[in-house]
Formats: sequence, C-alpha cells, structure tokens
Amino acid sequence: MKISHIILISFFSILLLFSITTYINYEQSKLIAENNEAFSRSSILLRNSHRFQRNFLYMVGGLRGYLLTDDPFFIQTYDSAILENEKILNELISMVSTGSDQRIVLDDIKLLQRYWLDEFAMPLLDAKKQATVSDDHRRVFDQIYRTKLGSGLEKDVQRSLQKKFSDFTNFEYGFRDSRKELLAASLRHTESVSFYLTVISVVAGTLIALFIAYYISSRIVKMVTMANAIAAGDYRVHVSEQGNSELSQLGRALNDMAGILDMNISLLKKQKDELDQFAHTVSHDIKGPLRGIDNVVTWIEEDHQLDLPPKVNEYLGIIKGRVARAENLIKGILAYARVGKEERVREYVDLRELISEVMEYNIPPRLGIALTTAPDLPRLYTERLPLLQIFTNLIGNAFKHHDKEEGEVKVYSKSRGELYEFFVSDDGPGIDVMYHEKIFEMFQTLKEKDAFESTGVGLTIVKKILHDRKLEVRMFSEPGKGSTFSFTWPKSVL
Amino acid sequence: MKRVINIMLIEDDTLDQIEVKRTLDKRHILYRLQVATNGEEAMRLLRGEAAGVSPDIPDFILLDLNMPKMNGFELLRWIRANARWKDIKVFILTTSEEPEDKAEAQLLGASGFITKPLKLDSSSSMDAFNLMMDLMNM
Repeated sequence: MKISHIILISFFSILLLFSITTYINYEQSKLIAENNEAFSRSSILLRNSHRFQRNFLYMVGGLRGYLLTDDPFFIQTYDSAILENEKILNELISMVSTGSDQRIVLDDIKLLQRYWLDEFAMPLLDAKKQATVSDDHRRVFDQIYRTKLGSGLEKDVQRSLQKKFSDFTNFEYGFRDSRKELLAASLRHTESVSFYLTVISVVAGTLIALFIAYYISSRIVKMVTMANAIAAGDYRVHVSEQGNSELSQLGRALNDMAGILDMNISLLKKQKDELDQFAHTVSHDIKGPLRGIDNVVTWIEEDHQLDLPPKVNEYLGIIKGRVARAENLIKGILAYARVGKEERVREYVDLRELISEVMEYNIPPRLGIALTTAPDLPRLYTERLPLLQIFTNLIGNAFKHHDKEEGEVKVYSKSRGELYEFFVSDDGPGIDVMYHEKIFEMFQTLKEKDAFESTGVGLTIVKKILHDRKLEVRMFSEPGKGSTFSFTWPKSVL
Repeated sequence: MKRVINIMLIEDDTLDQIEVKRTLDKRHILYRLQVATNGEEAMRLLRGEAAGVSPDIPDFILLDLNMPKMNGFELLRWIRANARWKDIKVFILTTSEEPEDKAEAQLLGASGFITKPLKLDSSSSMDAFNLMMDLMNM
C-alpha cells in the first residue's frame, strides 16, 4: 500500500469521525432549539388560557354590574372581554393541531362560552333593554333575571370551563415533562457518543501518526545504512522490501542501483584483472624471443667477432642495445602490473632501518654522492613492502640522475595530522616545470633512449602505490636547483 | 680417459638446444647428446624405436616443460612410471618461475631445476647445475 494512500485514508477516517461528532452535536442543538420553541409555545398557550379565564370573569362581572347599575362602563368591559376572548380562542386553536385532545377541549370551551352567551347573557341583555319601555317589560326582565340566576346555570358553565382549562393545562404540563425527559436522555446520549468518538479519533490519529512515523523512519534509516555501505564500497548490500509503498519502491530502486553498481564494478575489476593478466602474458612471452635474439648475437660475437667487418660488429652492438631496452620496458610493465597484487602485510617498520636496507641492497652506489637520513624518522606499524618500493625508486632516481661529481640526497619527514609526509631531496639537475606532470607517466624518461638503464616506470609505480591507498605524491623542482619528491603515508594502519 | 656422458635433451626451441650444447661444450667434457623436440619423440628414443640410434639409457635427461604434443609433466610421469627408466636423473629446464610448476615437477620426481637462460652464476640454478656437473665427473 502506498504511503500517500495510507496518509490520505487515515486523514479522511479521522475527518469522518470528527464530522460524525459535529453532526451529532448539530442535531442535538437543533433538538434543543425545537424544545425551546415548544416551551415558548407552551408558555403562550398557558398564558392565553389564563387570560381567557380572567376575561370570562370580566364578562360575568361586567354583565352583572350593568344589569344592576345600568352604568355603560360595565357593558364596555363586558364587550371588550368578549372580543378579546374571541381572539384568544382563535389563537389557541391555531396553535393546536386539528384532531388533537387539546383541540377537542378547546372546541368544548368555545361551545361553553357560546352557550353562556346565548342562553344567559344575551336574553338578559335583551330583556334589560326592553325594561325601560314599560313596566311590563320591567317585570319580564325581573322574572328572567331571577330565573337565570336562580337556575344556577351560570355556576355550572363556570365550573365546566374551569374543569376544561384544568384539563388543557394539565395536558400541556404533561407534554412539557415528557419533552424535558426526552431532552435530558438525548443530551446524555450525545455527550457519551461525542466523548467516545473524540477519544477514538484522538487514539486512532495518534496510532496512525506513530505508525507512519515509524514506517517512514525505519525504512529511511535502512536505506541510509545501505547508501553508506555503498559509499564505503560494499555493493552487495540489499534492503528487503516487499511492499508497494513509495519507500519500498525507493528501496527496490536502491537495490537495483547497488546491483548494477556491483555488476559494473565486478566487470571493471574483471576487465582490469584481464588487462593485467594480458600485460603479464604478453610481456612474459616477448621475453623469450628477445632472449633468443640476444643469445644469437652473443654467440656471433663470441665465435665470429674477429672474422666480421667492424661495421657489422657495431650494428650487432646496436641490436644488443635495443634488445636490452626492450627487456627493460618489459621488466617495467611486469613490475607495474605486480603493484597492488601483494598481500597487505603489516609489521613494525623503522624507517631509518628501511632506508639503510634500500641503500645496501637496491641502489648501485655512486662515488661522491652521499645519503643523509634525518635522525627523527619515525617507526610505524604499517606495510613494509610498498614503502621499500617507494623509497627505492625515489632514492634510486636521485642517485641515478645526479649530474655532478659530488652531491647529497636527503631523506626526512614532517608530521601532518593523521599522516606523515616523507621527503627525498637531491641537489641534482632539477626538472623543468613543463615535465613535472610527464615524469609520472609510464615510460617517460628525460634521458636519451639508449644512454641509460631505466625501466621508465619507477615514478609511475610510486604514483600507483600511493593512489591505490588514496595518498599523495608531490614534487618541487627547478632546473639547476635539484628536486624534492614527497609523499604522504598514514601514521596508523591503513 | 674420460668416459662419454650420455645426455638426452628434450626441448622444442632450437635456440635453447644450441644454448645447452654451447654450455656443455664450454665444460670440455666428452658427451653424447640425443635431442628430442617433444615428448613422443623422446619416448621413441628411449624405446630405441628411432632408426640408427642405439637405445642407450641416458645418464640424465634435460627436460623442457612447455612443449607441443606431450609436455614435460606428462613425459616425466611416463618415465617415472616405467621401471626401465624410473631411476634416470631428470632435470627440468624452465623459464617458469611459478612455484606451482616446481611443486608439481617435484611431486612427479624431478631431480632438480635449471632456470633458462643457462647461467652458471645464476643463484637459482646453481645447486641443480652443480649436481649435474658432479654427475658428469663421476
């Protein structure tokens, strides 16, 4: 699975969990708002039902007052109470749904008020209006008044109304209570769901973050280790990657890269070995015929020197010279091909002893040229053979190429941090700056070709030994002022 | 009178043959030299199959390692496996400095090694050559 997919899926899962939490809370707040609305509606209902009952009392009181005192103020109170109750009743009906219990109660109330008006208030008021016309009418009114009041009808209507309103409000209170309970339960439910969802989101988010961090960093650490190994020259390293994530793909790409590097470097090594082998074989096989030519010339010289014209003897000498040069070249190639083939053996090496050995066994002595060795040359635990080879070639060159009757070759060292720098300095002819690079190339010698016994690979070998070990060789020289060659060598084991 | 030393040289290179002859000539000894240029020819000489040549058993054999048809190692193995010749001294003539070659020749029963080019003062071939000379003066 790809990391980007894991991250996206995790992100969206957590987002989804939070969205659900938010939605549930939104629904809850909607419910609370609905509840508030229901409460305010219920308050209006209750207030209106109280007002209705109070107005009804105003109606009763206004009617009585008028009938007793004829004061028009009372009839005004009565009229406005009727009007208001009409309005209140309509409002109440509009707030209650058709067919509900409350609506039936309200319809009853409406009928009761109507009944009171039609059966009680209206006949009395009509009779009262006629009473001023004549005494008969007056008597009719008095009789109606007594009958209506004596019948107790008014009291019955009032009690019924009270009863109906009590039903109506009780119903409303019950409704309120049930709503209150429902709301509390839903609040508790919302709270717990929100809590659990939030906890799940936080825990899942943390776990996913930890997983992704671990997943990425562990793989990156593996790959860094691998890259370091490759940088250190180990191309056989391998990161095990089965997944399909981007990092697994990167790991596999790294594996492929290391594989290709390994293949190429193995191929290079093989080709270099083949080339070395080829140089070795060719040089070796050329030695035979050369020796043959040399033998035949020697035999001619030994057996027939006196019979031959001087010119022929001179030419034979030239042949031998050229054969010797070819043999030197071959010796050089073989010596160069051998560099780095030896096992790297370490031992304690006293540089002063090493230089003495070089002088004793490897350098043909020259009268008048002296070697001075610095007394503070170090003692090292290191490879002896390459050091011996380097000093042999450098000191050998200084002796071989010295152009004066008397001269001095100096060997000394300087400490340079982790390394020593060794110097071989002479007061010989010196080398022009234009040849400073060239002298390190193979078969470059600054002397005439036949004049000198030189393989032409001495400095090339020095350079190869040092470069194989990532060390440096330098030279400082001016014509007439001698030459100084220096090279670095580690103080501790390579 | 000095006795005639019977020597067999098995060597395919003409120059090397001449060189051996010249070296022997310089020793002022009486010798008879049979030359074979490969292993099969040497076998025929040893068996006396070649016309006009007596099947003398040589005092010693100088054997080159690198030869066509049958090389030095194979011939040496054949000589040592055969009762008639198994006691003949066999000196290996070689330009090879490979220690493996020397070890193999030694294992097969070589009496000594003479490094080409033949030089009496060459340190590596000194002992073998001295041994050879001792034989010639016996």
